[in-house]
Amino acid sequence: MELALGIAQREAGLDREGALDSGAAIEVFLREIEKRAYRIALMGVRDRDEALDVVQDAMIRLVRRYANRPSVEWPPLFYRILQNRIRDGQRRRTVRSRVLSFFGGTASDDERDPIVEAPAPRSEDPLVQVTADDAMQALEQALRLLPARQREAFSLRNFEGLDVAQTAVAMNCTEGSVKTHYSRAVHRLREKLAEHGEEHWNE
Amino acid sequence: MSDEQGADRFEQSTKRAFDDSVAALDAATLSRLTQARYRALEELKPARRRGWQWSLVPAGTLAATALVAWLTVWQAPPATEDSGLQAESLSDLELLLAEEDLEMLDEELDFYGWLEEQPEFAGADDSVG
Repeated sequence: MELALGIAQREAGLDREGALDSGAAIEVFLREIEKRAYRIALMGVRDRDEALDVVQDAMIRLVRRYANRPSVEWPPLFYRILQNRIRDGQRRRTVRSRVLSFFGGTASDDERDPIVEAPAPRSEDPLVQVTADDAMQALEQALRLLPARQREAFSLRNFEGLDVAQTAVAMNCTEGSVKTHYSRAVHRLREKLAEHGEEHWNE
Repeated sequence: MSDEQGADRFEQSTKRAFDDSVAALDAATLSRLTQARYRALEELKPARRRGWQWSLVPAGTLAATALVAWLTVWQAPPATEDSGLQAESLSDLELLLAEEDLEMLDEELDFYGWLEEQPEFAGADDSVG
């Protein structure tokens, strides 16, 4: 009986105590964060394919190096890796546009299929859907105007829901710095959005 | 409404907008994310069980591997002659097939420095015996 239970547990990715083994646990973790991580990466690198590459790269590095770490460490470690990859992508884009402008060219996006990229409609009311998209666009534009550290702190604390300690690990800074970056980000975002008539954020 | 209440409402609104944008991701993106996850989970398997993923092997590496294999198998001198050439070809093959961990060049040294300072790593005894 115990042998059969043990086999069943192993097949379900559970160890003897019924807890997920690390392989199953990290799969659950990645499945839970992949969409949010992609959305954060997309805001940073502003290119769909690059954002996907960034997320995949962060996942691979996390599994390769930290799968055996306690699972509570995975979120800040993953986002630390992700933020590093996003910064790399931003640096490459900066260098690329400088090189292109030096030679008199402009960077252009690749051809994309708008139907494939059309988001799944969340609302029956197209006006609600358009309004939600516009709101997120306005927020993203305001985020881009923030200094990088404030943007990171806001993404990790607000969008991903990391606590101050986890955010400090992810950002490789002190908890005090996290609080400062975050509060300044909130203040500046509210100012910027209010300037453009976006008072509804405070409702 | 106090400024603190306003900030709280603002944070809730932005979180909601972000969550909505995540929920609206298209099917193609979700599929790519699933593939990325599967690719990452491959790292859990021991190297010998990952099997050859031909699509991940650059064409140049395949061509070079085929060349060295041909040199080794078809051009190998008889056993009585100098076996150094054969050994050299095999070591070339190993070199071509070895997976360089170039990511080690990209380490965040300060993070690992912090890790080493943690109590569980402090005072490690390297002596043998």
